Amino acid sequence: MGVDWRAGWPLLAGLGVAGFCVPKARGGYGFEVAAAVVASQELGGALHGSPYAGLIASVHVLAGSDVDAPAELVDGILAGERVCALGILNSAADKSGGDGITGVASLVDGAATADALLLMAPSSLDALLVAEPKAWTVDPILPTFDVSRSCGEVRLDHVPALRCSGGTSALPLYRLLLAADTLGGVERMLHRTVSYVRDRHAFGRPIGAFQAVQHRLVDHAVRTRAMSLGVAEAARMLGDGSPRAAREVALAELAVSSEATHVLHDLVQLTGAIGFTWEHGLHHYERRAHHNARLGRNPRSAARSLAGFEGWLGRRSHER
Amino acid sequence: MNAEPAEPFREEVRAFIAARAPRLRHQEGVRVPQSPDEQREIRRWLRELYEAGYLGAGWPAEWGGTPDHHPLHDLVLMEELFRARAYRPLDQVMLASHAILAFGTDRQKADLLHHIRRGEHIWCQLFSEPDAGSDLASLRTRAEPKGTDFVVTGQKAWSTDAQWADMGMLLARTDPSVDRHAGLTAFAVPMHLPGIEIRPIREMTGSSEFCEVFLDEVRLGPEHVLGDLGGGWAVVTSGLASERAFVGANAVQLEMMFGDLVSLCRAARIPDGTIAIAHEDIQAQLAAALSKVEGVKLIVRDTVERILQNEEHPSDGPLAKLAYTELNVELCELALEIIASSISVDAAEAEVVTRWYENFLWSRALTISGGASEILRGLVGRQLLGLPRDS
Ligand SMILES: Cc1cc2nc3c(=O)[nH]c(=O)nc-3n(C[C@H](O)[C@H](O)[C@H](O)COP(=O)(O)OP(=O)(O)OC[C@H]3O[C@@H](n4cnc5c(N)ncnc54)[C@H](O)[C@@H]3O)c2cc1C
Repeated sequence: MGVDWRAGWPLLAGLGVAGFCVPKARGGYGFEVAAAVVASQELGGALHGSPYAGLIASVHVLAGSDVDAPAELVDGILAGERVCALGILNSAADKSGGDGITGVASLVDGAATADALLLMAPSSLDALLVAEPKAWTVDPILPTFDVSRSCGEVRLDHVPALRCSGGTSALPLYRLLLAADTLGGVERMLHRTVSYVRDRHAFGRPIGAFQAVQHRLVDHAVRTRAMSLGVAEAARMLGDGSPRAAREVALAELAVSSEATHVLHDLVQLTGAIGFTWEHGLHHYERRAHHNARLGRNPRSAARSLAGFEGWLGRRSHER
Repeated sequence: MNAEPAEPFREEVRAFIAARAPRLRHQEGVRVPQSPDEQREIRRWLRELYEAGYLGAGWPAEWGGTPDHHPLHDLVLMEELFRARAYRPLDQVMLASHAILAFGTDRQKADLLHHIRRGEHIWCQLFSEPDAGSDLASLRTRAEPKGTDFVVTGQKAWSTDAQWADMGMLLARTDPSVDRHAGLTAFAVPMHLPGIEIRPIREMTGSSEFCEVFLDEVRLGPEHVLGDLGGGWAVVTSGLASERAFVGANAVQLEMMFGDLVSLCRAARIPDGTIAIAHEDIQAQLAAALSKVEGVKLIVRDTVERILQNEEHPSDGPLAKLAYTELNVELCELALEIIASSISVDAAEAEVVTRWYENFLWSRALTISGGASEILRGLVGRQLLGLPRDS
């Protein structure tokens, strides 16, 4: 967990986890979104320090772009030797012209140690690659809450960038992987709490025998199953290039980001004082789930997207 | 509640807090001093609260109480401490005072109470064990009678403030052969006795407020027994401090939290760059939260009213705690949702975000300790609704 994740990263990358969404011609597996989702769940469950969601989404854009992204960067990312972080520029007005890009991306996971940065404009499908690590400045986000990864606010001032096209799937992919990361943590903690209440005794019984405890865990299991199926469905559609994929991703994000914190916080309750300790570690998942939601500006952003997909936006003037 | 007679008193207390309260920046919930200087300041502050007659005023006059004390003043004090975010008196110390007054011998009262009033005795509670929490009566720490003495061996857990406490109120088993409640005895234990080892445990908030306490053949004399031999259960469950009206201050706490929620929504920007509070969906969430806050404030005030009239129902305290602590969790979850949904929070209000993160993590301390919500729901179900006990 935390700072030293890069030491072991080439090994994990060697298993292929960085290449699930990179075309075969560039040395990856194609567009295996479901596999990337599984990896993200596992990394989330392990509280891994990598900015996996951003890394996968950015290497996907870089390798698939019709502009020639530096081949050695893509190769380096696949080998786990280089890391590209993903940021979303705060406003579309941030300009990129002949004099480079100027702007702010408030929350960029892994920005401080990344070798390259891919910046998405909020309302355009173009992405801008900044391949010179010293070109941007990073301020830590205060207060820090998630302690398993590091996140910063990136500022760019007339920084040269390479425009890459073909980023249509980048943001849905990024967002889906963030949801998968949270989901992996929720699943692991739910499982752990269920075994804990089976062993822990009070009043002569396992506390899991009290219906007050049992029913809540069942409710959480139902929610978690819905989240898990939602994430898997969105992964399938995105992988298949379905036109409904973006809507499905928003549904998955909304389910995960609006439920996870509540479920995890209740697992602390059902565990009792030991659940309240640093060592027991439930809080790491709460912090991380919040951070994932924050990176996606969720649940509100997903709710707004969904309202758009359903055709509910801008109807008011019509109806009058 | 008609608080008007208390207004001049309120002004006085406010001025006192402004002038005398230590200026500490403590994480929500944390009361452990972070340095020797802080500890001196805290003890000085507690002593001054007693000296000024703001704390311990409800005690019998012979032990330092104020004869014409009005319990409403306890409430006003606590409300103002919350409002000023000032260091608050420690629950365990107030509960210990109450237990000594209610169960102690005259000798114990003479020996112990003045130390509390002078800020010299911080108390902790040595009740819970790793395997005995909600089901406290299953505890296993033994206090084995040896002549008139006792030899205590066992392990206590989650003892808040034990690392700087001078005294501990211990619940231990003196007789394993009788009914599990009847075999328990309460003791007033000096924490520096040989055989006591204290290890702070780090909480999920990052602070180290509670501790494991290991007791290895700790020798206690008859003067340490609090209440009757085998009467420990009554001592620790009499629980209610004389300052019962303190519960009312939670209304102020909720008001302040709601204020923080509004500040957050004024400082948070959603991705289109506008402030959160300008949006109808956020306003609707705030309004729903406000109606719950006002509802719980009414519950809390109603409880205080009954306490002041001495018309309290046994379920009132648990019900108020349940209502307040559960709403606290809900407000924290909402605040985190709003933070997550925003693109940024104005730097001037970064302190509000810090407070919400701390409050969120700490909110679980309140729903687990002092009677977990599930246990309280059971109590209220039986005592208020008259439901049968789960077999
Ligand atoms: C911040 C903090 C400070 C504390 N300070 C002190 C202190 O100073 N001194 C001290 O002695 N102790 C202290 N405690 C311990 C506290 O009293 C216990 O945590 C509490 O009694 C719950 O016990 P437990 O943690 O063992 O949880 P358990 O009893 O194991 O309970 C785990 C879960 O099961 C539920 N449960 C248990 N029994 C039932 C039932 N019959 N029906 C339905 N649900 C049930 C609980 O509600 C909880 O959700 C503190 C705890 C915390 C978190």
